[in-house]
Amino acid sequence: MEQIFTLAFLTSFLSAAVSTAIPLAYASMGEIYSEKAGILNIGLEANMLAGAFCSFAVAYTSGSLWMGLLGGIVGGLAVCMLHAFISVRLAQNQTICGIALNIFLLGISSYFLKILVSNNPAFPQVATFPKLAIPGLSAIPLIGEALFNQNILVYILYLLIGMSQVLLKHTQWGNSLTAVGEHPRAADTVGIRVYRTQYLAAAINGMLGGMSGAYMVLAQLGVFTENMTAGRGYIALAVVIFGRREPIRAALAALLFGAAECMQFRMQALGIDLPAQFMNMLPYLITMIALLGSIGKQRDPESLGKPYIRDAR
Amino acid sequence: MKGIVKAFPGVIANNHVNLSVKAGEIHALLGENGAGKTTLMNILYGLYQADSGSVYWKGEKVHFHSPLDAIAAGIGMVHQHFTLIPTMTVLQNIILGLKEKGYPFIKITEITESIQALAKRYGLAVDVKKRVCELSVGEQQRVEILKALYRGAELLVLDEPTAVLTPQETCEFFEVLRRLKSEGHAVILITHRMAEIMAISDRVTILRDGSDLAVMNTQDTDPASLAKLMIGSELPERPVIEPHKGDAAPLLELKDIVVKKERISRLAISLQVYPGEIVGIAGVDGNGQKELAEVICGILSASQGTIQYDGQDITKATVYQRFRRGIAYISDDRHHDGLVLDMNLRQNLMLRKYKLSPYTKHGCLNRNKMDEFSSSCIGKYQIKPPSPGIKMRLLSGGNQQKAILAREISEEAKLIVACQPTRGLDIGATMQVRSILAEQRNRGAGILLISADLDEILSLSDRIAVLFRGQLMGVLDNGAELKTETIGSMMGGRPLAEGETTYA
Repeated sequence: MEQIFTLAFLTSFLSAAVSTAIPLAYASMGEIYSEKAGILNIGLEANMLAGAFCSFAVAYTSGSLWMGLLGGIVGGLAVCMLHAFISVRLAQNQTICGIALNIFLLGISSYFLKILVSNNPAFPQVATFPKLAIPGLSAIPLIGEALFNQNILVYILYLLIGMSQVLLKHTQWGNSLTAVGEHPRAADTVGIRVYRTQYLAAAINGMLGGMSGAYMVLAQLGVFTENMTAGRGYIALAVVIFGRREPIRAALAALLFGAAECMQFRMQALGIDLPAQFMNMLPYLITMIALLGSIGKQRDPESLGKPYIRDAR
Repeated sequence: MKGIVKAFPGVIANNHVNLSVKAGEIHALLGENGAGKTTLMNILYGLYQADSGSVYWKGEKVHFHSPLDAIAAGIGMVHQHFTLIPTMTVLQNIILGLKEKGYPFIKITEITESIQALAKRYGLAVDVKKRVCELSVGEQQRVEILKALYRGAELLVLDEPTAVLTPQETCEFFEVLRRLKSEGHAVILITHRMAEIMAISDRVTILRDGSDLAVMNTQDTDPASLAKLMIGSELPERPVIEPHKGDAAPLLELKDIVVKKERISRLAISLQVYPGEIVGIAGVDGNGQKELAEVICGILSASQGTIQYDGQDITKATVYQRFRRGIAYISDDRHHDGLVLDMNLRQNLMLRKYKLSPYTKHGCLNRNKMDEFSSSCIGKYQIKPPSPGIKMRLLSGGNQQKAILAREISEEAKLIVACQPTRGLDIGATMQVRSILAEQRNRGAGILLISADLDEILSLSDRIAVLFRGQLMGVLDNGAELKTETIGSMMGGRPLAEGETTYA
């Protein structure tokens, strides 16, 4: 037990927690934009899987990590725009569409993986983004290693979190986005282009979701496996709610969930005498507790999940 | 606007409508619900596209593809249901969607100053830092007008602006309109209230069934002839109210009832209703009226206090038990609470009774008995079209309301809670609903009439109670000499003082 409290253990635990939190943070950051604009996209899992598979496929065939990242972004974007088309243009049920995409992507990504690796006896692998220690900052005890000795995608995320926070809370553009999610008719009457704003928000969601999946392949594992996201898209949705749709809060929430997931592995490794099934439950248990804790503390955008039809009477 | 045509599935909302408005005039657009006023204005504002016809602005033919074009041309619109974001501040709402200097960032001090200058010029005092959800309805309306003016509106379209205001607020609002006019703005005022047209407008255009019937100078006309033009026939007579029969025991007695929603007290009230009287509940919408109706019908439960009804304590009784004891409820929201729009007329008429014999026997519905009952309802209340199998959604508002009345009101109804029973109905249907209520009262039922329309309360009630932020400001005996100003100031939150005279 006392192993838990050594500095070395905590440092490596934190480092792993940050690393695990990154895909959740990327995906939830995207979902914040989407939900602010009134589109409830449950298909984060689909965005991530598309991003993961495309980044792997492109990186594997081209040999370039950056091309892989681009591929991941495009993959996530494509899936998310399909969701946006169905929910904005066709005004269909956003939840059902999201679930359908999740299931569809699970199948099709596994299928394409088979095609991709069918003529390759060895299991294909790609390189991963190397760690870049930021001089000075990475030497801070305990947190330096975790926060500032990471790969480039982590630093990009830091920038995105900061930018999103300013953009959503302190700019006219953020207000317009909020107006579209709260009261699209009001937004329309002051000349905000409701549909365009929603498509843009969906595009941001798709690209960030794609990066989330790309991170798992290009920074964590170097491979794509069937259902490799394993429910993280759903946890990212919980992160959005727990983070009250604010980028910095959501990033911290992602860290909490990341820590819970790492704890599961660490405790198993330490041989703590709890059934493995209980450990596996931990992240989801925390999700439930977190959701219970946020009851009544926030309200959803007024027209979240409701399609806007301008000509309706 | 010339020859505007706009059709929606099943209705022609505008049929070759013409409308012309001069600079610096207040032009009233008069018509019943469904006459096509709002549709016409939405076309002018670019929200709807006309099927044919054209819009001329300052002599030139224009086509507005979206509100953005209309705003750029100098047209502002205040919708009947405000288009403000409740969670945002007044300032954020006013500049919403604009690309001001410093975009995308917001220069709060500079913008505050220019808004305040504008507000001062037109007498539209409002605190720009407050969130819209903290404002009264009158203040929200001022924000809406400021929002349009801030965008440089020369023509202001106001859709039913006074429907939500107290009499005092209406007076203040008219002052603002006069100020706008003197500054050279044109105003289109949509309304169906004659008194307002006579008081404020220069010219009036009358719409009926989607066509424009007449344009006239306000001073050349009078309310009676306007009304005749608007509804196309003589105004129906007012219902007759027989003198109140007097002093039985109270039918309904609310004792220190407190209703809490989201931990905030929405209602704290004591009130009696006697058999054979109409108690009118006056007050601006959203001051606890809905909660009052729902706590009596058992939909909400009171956190404190007791409800006595017909000599028994019904505080804990369920909705169904209360209905069986003769409490009828006419909900203010036909589409949401009152009816199931996707079921047919027969099913809607049976909603309260389907469990009872003879409509259900041994757990099976008796179609013949149900048909009999629906046909008698349709005949008695003249519901059109008279087909029990028609989808509720396809009926007009007036006929939907009649269906609710038919279902709720029967010989067994001892207490009728009527919540905004004539909201959204045209004058003909309104008169019919009012005389049904008067009939029930004369028969001996106690009626709680909740209405935001003060005229309705004044013309029907025996006693008038004024509700403000969930509390009674006082209960008055209705009479011809009752001062509307007194009720107005009570609606604005001034309680009735001890021994105060309320008569002129």
